[in-house]
Amino acid sequence: MIQDTIRQEAKKALESGEVRMVIGWGAGSVPFKTTPVFVDNPQDTDKLIWNPACTNNLAVYLTKLARDGKVGIVAKPCDVRSIVTLIREKQVKRENVFIIGVGCGGVVDATSLQNGDVKLREITSLEWDGGDLLVTTETTKTKLSAAAVLREQCKECDDRTPSVSDVSIGEAVVRASDLKIEIPGLSEDRQKYWAEQFSRCIRCYACRQVCPACYCETCFCDRIEPKWTAKKATTDEAWMFHATRAMHLVGRCISCGECERVCPVGIPAVELARELNAIAKERYGFEAGDPQADKPLLGNYQENDVDPAHHSE
Amino acid sequence: MSEQTTVEKEDTQLNEQTKEWQPSILAILCNWCSYAGADLAGSARMQYPETVRIVRVPCSGRADPMFVLKGFQKGFDGVMVLGCHPGDCHYAKGNYYARRRIAMTQDLLKALGIPAERFHFEWVSASEGNRFSALIKEFTRQLQELGPFEGVDR
Repeated sequence: MIQDTIRQEAKKALESGEVRMVIGWGAGSVPFKTTPVFVDNPQDTDKLIWNPACTNNLAVYLTKLARDGKVGIVAKPCDVRSIVTLIREKQVKRENVFIIGVGCGGVVDATSLQNGDVKLREITSLEWDGGDLLVTTETTKTKLSAAAVLREQCKECDDRTPSVSDVSIGEAVVRASDLKIEIPGLSEDRQKYWAEQFSRCIRCYACRQVCPACYCETCFCDRIEPKWTAKKATTDEAWMFHATRAMHLVGRCISCGECERVCPVGIPAVELARELNAIAKERYGFEAGDPQADKPLLGNYQENDVDPAHHSE
Repeated sequence: MSEQTTVEKEDTQLNEQTKEWQPSILAILCNWCSYAGADLAGSARMQYPETVRIVRVPCSGRADPMFVLKGFQKGFDGVMVLGCHPGDCHYAKGNYYARRRIAMTQDLLKALGIPAERFHFEWVSASEGNRFSALIKEFTRQLQELGPFEGVDR
């Protein structure tokens, strides 16, 4: 079982002294949620769990924890894309990370389970069964379709096995494109759409805190001079914050969707960066999570790059 | 009445243009080429609308996308970034970096729903004073057609 293998690999790495800590997912307060755990003792490795609710992108902790000394990290393919980006941008040294890569069939949006007939508190396990989620409670077994329960970004993700890892565990066979899930298009009047979205923003910065790519020691929005954004929670200041954050994530966001998940007011912050990254891929052949790319997108150029001048002619 | 000279004609056109609503334009200009081009337009007394507010930066590579976003947040009707022609950068490659960054900024504005016509990116050299003045006239007319920018929080 994948979970047992994760525990064994973590134990091995801790016992041999190769790593001083393993970052992974542990049981949350309720069975359908998980929480990050930091295991530094081989005896505690049974705290590590693996199921379709292991949603956090744990790469966010690496910039602090892997600064001096090696740590192990349990990582889904998307988390590995984050790690690849951090290594490319010299925030983490490859030799300081021990990647326990896990094949992933997509993670579950915990809020979507509430829509079914399942009694949430009685859930004992969640697992993928082909294209369906098998939800087991003490008395019942229910199958829910992936389209109904997958997190938004997992519906488009075909990255099923980690591109880089020291140990690779498990293999998820069902790709998102095989499920043929329809993704609704974006609104026509973008300006109005985003003004409505950003009008809800309370500027809690949860999106920034949870983002592995937002590793700046001082974020532009915390600066007093120059004051890029005022502290007040008005729509135009929120627009400035989100627009700038999207620009800062170009070629760096790997669409893990964590910012969207943690947002208390449901702003789809990942949409902008995802859209820009699709353009960057087409125009410059650059993908944020690609281990082959050696320089960041905007820290590089080609003499024959597309020229944005004369666009109005 | 004698026939108007070219300069007089341009002046008349400009006067016509200035009777209409005047947009506000934020222009971020590279010190070595575009700013010098604007300077040349001024010292040669070439006429252009007084709609433009110029920010001088050392290089178009310094034109942070945040400058552009801030311009729109603060309600400018249009924003333009001008730099040295590719290959002519004073710092050898600053404008090559700018080219990618500004291209992505254009896409961001598009994704945010800001009309593409409100943002202008061009290469203007130090000798192109006439081109600078023509660009400002052109951009001003374009914005006059679009009307005032409603703001990002509309």
